[in-house]
Amino acid sequence: MGTVIVVLILAAIVAAIVRSLVKSRKRGEHPACGGDCGHCGGGCH
Amino acid sequence: MGIRIALAGNPNCGKTTLFNALTGSNQFVGNWPGVTVEYKEGKYKGDKEVTIVDLPGIYSLSPYTLEEVVSRNYLIDERPEAIINVIDGTNLERNLYLTTQVVELGIPVVIAINMMDVVEKNGDKINTKKLSEEIGVPVIEISALKNRGLKEIVDVAVKAANEAKPQSPKHRFDGSVEHALAHIEELCLHSIDDENVQRWYSIKLFERDEKIQEKLGLSADVINHIENDIASCEKELDDDAESIITGERYNYIGTIIDGCVKKASKGMTTSDKIDRIVTNRWLALPIFAIVMFIVYYVSVTTVGTWATDWANDGVFGDGWHLFAIGSADYNDAADEYAEKALIVDGYDIYVEENGSEPTGDFEYPVEDEETAAVEYETASLEDYAEAKAYIDSTEEPDPADYGVWVPGIPPIIESGLDAIGCNDVVKGLILDGIVAGVGAVLGFVPQILVLFIFLAFLEACGYMARVAFIMDRIFRKFGLSGKSFIPMLIGTGCGIPGIMASRTIENDRDRKMTIMTTTFIPCGAKLPFIAMVAGAIFGGASWVAPSAYFLGIFAIITSGIMLKKTKMFAGDPAPFVMELPAYHWPTLGNVLRSMWERGWSFIKKAGTIILLSTIVVWFTTFFGFTADGFRMLEEEEIGMSILANIGKALAWIFIPLGFGDWEATVASITGLVAKENIVGTLAIIYGATGDVYETMRAAFTNASGFAFLAFNLLCAPCFAAMGAIKREMNNTRWFWRAIGYQCGYAWVIGLIVYQCGKCFTGEGFSVGTIFGIAGICVLLYGLFRKDKYNN
Repeated sequence: MGTVIVVLILAAIVAAIVRSLVKSRKRGEHPACGGDCGHCGGGCH
Repeated sequence: MGIRIALAGNPNCGKTTLFNALTGSNQFVGNWPGVTVEYKEGKYKGDKEVTIVDLPGIYSLSPYTLEEVVSRNYLIDERPEAIINVIDGTNLERNLYLTTQVVELGIPVVIAINMMDVVEKNGDKINTKKLSEEIGVPVIEISALKNRGLKEIVDVAVKAANEAKPQSPKHRFDGSVEHALAHIEELCLHSIDDENVQRWYSIKLFERDEKIQEKLGLSADVINHIENDIASCEKELDDDAESIITGERYNYIGTIIDGCVKKASKGMTTSDKIDRIVTNRWLALPIFAIVMFIVYYVSVTTVGTWATDWANDGVFGDGWHLFAIGSADYNDAADEYAEKALIVDGYDIYVEENGSEPTGDFEYPVEDEETAAVEYETASLEDYAEAKAYIDSTEEPDPADYGVWVPGIPPIIESGLDAIGCNDVVKGLILDGIVAGVGAVLGFVPQILVLFIFLAFLEACGYMARVAFIMDRIFRKFGLSGKSFIPMLIGTGCGIPGIMASRTIENDRDRKMTIMTTTFIPCGAKLPFIAMVAGAIFGGASWVAPSAYFLGIFAIITSGIMLKKTKMFAGDPAPFVMELPAYHWPTLGNVLRSMWERGWSFIKKAGTIILLSTIVVWFTTFFGFTADGFRMLEEEEIGMSILANIGKALAWIFIPLGFGDWEATVASITGLVAKENIVGTLAIIYGATGDVYETMRAAFTNASGFAFLAFNLLCAPCFAAMGAIKREMNNTRWFWRAIGYQCGYAWVIGLIVYQCGKCFTGEGFSVGTIFGIAGICVLLYGLFRKDKYNN
């Protein structure tokens, strides 16, 4: 049971990260640069 | 409909500082040209209906570089409701040149004289009322940094936008120029309703602005006709059209300055005095080298290391004593216990090796924690008896007995997972994968923050602008432009804005060359692996981190020289004009904000892309195909893992560089996703078989360790930066040329470092050394061969 809970939590975290990466990509940011567009004006999109 | 107010002005006059103050944004501010290369929009804090647009800095409306085109096109095509022309009050004459053109656009203009605090401090006086009358637009004194006059400037701009009554330019050119302008307007511009806009276009056509000719779609006949008008005017005034306009504008500005500005007479300023030393022909470079050595030394070796040790060994290790109370006592007790244990273990080793007990003194091995070097010390039988009695009678010291012990994240998670009976595979994924990988990267946050504080300080106080000036002097000797150094300065934070800053270089060949070499400079993401190599392989030697920075500069200069001698990059270097800002103490808030912006971006990345990467790396490290089929592997079996097989297939590439094992190979590959991944990957792989640093130390020699550092520093950057390279090159072939050159150059430098370095680290001369020497010869040939394409 403990394993299932941990796996579900882990899956939720991974899903949240992927979702945030996809969303930031749609906003024109690039995940691998931390999405700090304020710093570079969005050089990756 | 809302109101758009554009901020237009010369580079480095404070537009972005004003933009941040008006909108509450945190756009990066730098005191060299090229920091803003694309326009940015933000809502005015005081009225969300007002949009403020920050444009890249321009000296005139006759653009030469890509970012100048961005500004001009925005003003001409988007036509904001009002323009705030930001002027550096300490250099009115140069800044007013743009003003004379902006007021001709037919858009309401308000002038903001920025840096008034500095003007007043210098004792200078600007009669803004008279200036306003002379130019015909409202003039407001502001200080964007000190939040002075900001509401007033926006209020005046909004009022001007609502009135929508553009000023009529007061300046008139020489009679023959006005005659030619009238002809041009009559010939091809009468379809434009606004007379002011007609006039602006006619001036641009008079200057033979090809982009405007194209934009208006003029026929060859019309252009010929205009050419006749221009030619007759040029003949009359005995100068070329562009110079006539420029000269007349400056004459006009001269009369304005005479009537409105009173300069305090004074000798050398403090900045001038500092510059006499800092930019001195002989002292400049040594000072720069010392400054950067101190920056990296302090960041990576001293202050940064203390904090990073706490993060690595405490937060992401076993734990730490609160406020370090009890640490010293615990360390003393632990050292004493370890010392006695070594003697007892040494005795047992002796018995095991010799089959009998020692009859007198015996030697026992002691490993140096920093260098992993094993030395033998001698113990007597009395020492053994004493040590044995101590070990038998004493418990191993428990840190919790010496102070308030705060457990690290791994023990907390481990006990939590144990408590709920978590499966070993999932536990391994979390502890050996995510916590080990992400923790290893986050452990370097303190060092990164310390480095960013230094860089922010050097940028904000005005020193980095001098560095560009110093490097221009050196670059120019090799046919390069100092403009190429600006992107590299910006690239110390992150390579992407550095690559983007290459837009300030108007010469396309120089621009491409700069894009290819900018990422050689160590960015923030590379610092963790530089620090890891320095700590694990070189025992925390102070020279390693600074050497990475200087290796980056060496790579940039040598690449520039070699590439410039090829047909693809030949040509005169672009002129480099840059105003050196006065030295000043940056505000603590600005330095901390700059540090935090960059640091937060690093932390965010560790929590997203690095975390996902560690899951993939852990899975591919601990799973693989064995004789029993696909299954999870034991620690001693990870040589059969998926990742190991990928690494082994590619490791041959790095054999000549001394790190041709699968672990270092896959770390280099995962580093392409994000450079921090090198640390995360090594932490997972080496952590699987023991202590990360000890295993890493055993896997590398000094020569192969530095070759590993050099290759990963100079090879292709992360995917995000590669994307920026592709976009800025706007050409697939050029993109692959850039990536190919970076990897090739990194490989050759790695080869030289390893093969020749072996001779200096006691590994001796080998056949490979000949190839290393050949690599040096190739480099020297590239540097010193005859330059066929440049004068």
